[in-house]
Amino acid sequence: MDIATLKAKGIVRAHSARTPICARFPFGLAQAGVHELAEACFGDMPALTGFTLAAYAEGGGANRAGAILWVTQARLGLEHGCVPDSALRAFSAHHTHRLVVQPAKLSDALWTIEEAIASSAVSLIVAEVSGADFTATRRLALASGRHGVPVILLMPYGREGATAAQARWRITSKPSAPNRYDPRAPGTPRWHATLERSRTAPHLAGHSFDLEWNNETLSLTVVSGLGAGQAASPTPPRRGPADASGIRRAG
Amino acid sequence: MRPAFDEQANTPPFVLTESGHAGLIVAAANRTALNLGIGPGLRFTDARARVPQLLYDEIDREADARGLRALASWMVRWTPLTALDGVDGLMLETTGCDHLHGGETAMVEALSLRLTRSGCAHRIGLAGTPGAASALARAAAKEGVPALLSEGGERDGLADLPVAALRLSTEAVILLRRFGLVRIGQLYDIDRKALARRFQSRDMSDAVCLRLDQALGLRIEPLQPLLPPPAHAARLPCPEPIANGQGVAEGLRQITEILCADLARLGQGARSFILHAFKSDGDVSSLSVTAARPVRNPEHILRLFRETLDSIDPGFGIDLLLLEARRAGPMSVSAVALSGDLAASDTDEAALAALADRIVAKLGQGSVLLNTPQASHAPDRAERWLPYEGTLPPHASTSATTGPRPVRMLSHPERVEVIAEVPDGPPLRFVWRRIVRTVSRADGPERINPEWWRSLPPVGAKPKNLPRARDYYRVEDSKGGRYWLFREGLYDDERGDAPEWYVQGLFA
Repeated sequence: MDIATLKAKGIVRAHSARTPICARFPFGLAQAGVHELAEACFGDMPALTGFTLAAYAEGGGANRAGAILWVTQARLGLEHGCVPDSALRAFSAHHTHRLVVQPAKLSDALWTIEEAIASSAVSLIVAEVSGADFTATRRLALASGRHGVPVILLMPYGREGATAAQARWRITSKPSAPNRYDPRAPGTPRWHATLERSRTAPHLAGHSFDLEWNNETLSLTVVSGLGAGQAASPTPPRRGPADASGIRRAG
Repeated sequence: MRPAFDEQANTPPFVLTESGHAGLIVAAANRTALNLGIGPGLRFTDARARVPQLLYDEIDREADARGLRALASWMVRWTPLTALDGVDGLMLETTGCDHLHGGETAMVEALSLRLTRSGCAHRIGLAGTPGAASALARAAAKEGVPALLSEGGERDGLADLPVAALRLSTEAVILLRRFGLVRIGQLYDIDRKALARRFQSRDMSDAVCLRLDQALGLRIEPLQPLLPPPAHAARLPCPEPIANGQGVAEGLRQITEILCADLARLGQGARSFILHAFKSDGDVSSLSVTAARPVRNPEHILRLFRETLDSIDPGFGIDLLLLEARRAGPMSVSAVALSGDLAASDTDEAALAALADRIVAKLGQGSVLLNTPQASHAPDRAERWLPYEGTLPPHASTSATTGPRPVRMLSHPERVEVIAEVPDGPPLRFVWRRIVRTVSRADGPERINPEWWRSLPPVGAKPKNLPRARDYYRVEDSKGGRYWLFREGLYDDERGDAPEWYVQGLFA
């Protein structure tokens, strides 16, 4: 631990001390360092958001005390919509407060992230930014390491190039799991996540995960054979209320 | 105090005009014109007939008012309580401020000197009541010769002044003159009832009595200050004007420490701080910062100012720095918990508020938002974005009484073109953002009725204008995108045309 770490504000708080990065999924996401998550193609932002919240809950991030700061560039917020608090509650049993900042400029967004890291007032920073060059990510990574505040950057699909982040994930949405109660309804969400680069687990770089979020047990599981279509035994279509046209005819 | 523009004795006659109800009238005249008998209120054609070479221009009342307000905000260096007096006067409440400038006489002289230096002609009256001060400024004082009355001397001091100095209407002054009442002193001994009988309207006689009583201090005349007075203020006069930004920063540090020490002595903090930098050329720049909760930590306040301090241009030098604390309130001081496990709340609220202050100082008011739940069934009204005000709401109850809610909510529902199998069913295919999406699976509907208490129709209104029920569907397209669509209206509700479809949000 260097001198700067010892001098950093808020270091006496036990939970803000640096934690060893866990070498299992999600590889330190929402626990330490800067992690980049990018859309695989245009329109994957909801899947990206869902994966973030799920991985945050799965990685034990919700046990960390303190509020979340959510930084969204105003333009991206208009394009993708905002994340309501009800979505946070749906992904985690533990409730955390959240402050939202919507700066118009990328430079203001990066300044806000860095300021929040240094303040040690928040336990996690999620930022939707249009891009960040190597210098910017390096600054954030250094600050995050010094103060022990994890940062998640949500990036649009065009994200490429060098980064100083711990990892870069690329997320796309998959058709949802079969719904056990109604085969015509969407089931629990499934995502395809590729770990493009990782400093924690370099041997897994390029590895893909097919993940399913169980919204009842609040757990993220790896699914096999997603490509085989419906894994569960297809049940004959039930006669739902929409099929009850016979009643109408009789009346 | 009456500012007016400096006039030379040998200037040509010049008037400002405005349109009255019977053509152009004279609104203001310079001294030459006044000596020629042309005064405010005269019809412009008459004035032109008397002096054919009369120069004229249109009056700009708005610019005058702006200038007067700017002058009033500059007057903050003398007293925090400044008010406008008519269209050409300023009223300063200097009680308790004169000792800062070495007594009343010294203060008036210093004020007069500064105004003269900045080329602002003025007349100053000072008395124990606003009415008396106004009368002195308008009738007794001359340029460079302020009129001062000591406390309690109003009755004798005003006796020789004309009644017009009492801020009366023109009709009242004319009527009083008809009765032979020209001096204010003549009004003192007149029977009030007898005076009221002579006036046609009771209002006018009341106005005369009111103005007289206000001038003599028999009735209180509250000032309506331009700005509410600050809770606390600290000032730093600079004998040698500050000429660079470094000096401003150092001066700000000193007065911030003084102000915070004052606040600490009273156990208070403030949520808003305003810095006025008075320049030697008569200009003033002001900066303000706000805090989410009352603060009195000098370091924190200085840090908030640091973002914008560069915008102060010292110009020819700054000779006074004034820091005001507004919205003061008691501070909740709590010891910092030794470790996170011992803290009462899982969030360090003071640190969070400090962070929010810095973001607000950089990005502007209302840039830190909090999603606040509202008691409403409508999904687009169930949560509102409100500015963070230093307090976090208690955690909402965990009971999920609604259906699944999307992870992304669009700020406004976006209209989509839809092909549906049956009118009441979910769509088969829809076009959103110019991309055709084929629905593979759908769930619903979840019907959310409009909140009828929000839009009570007027009696006899057609049902066509009533808000419509919404049927929400959770659909998934062939590529795995999950959407929250709704159909606004039913086919048989007789509230408008065929229902339309919208995207409200997106599921993970």
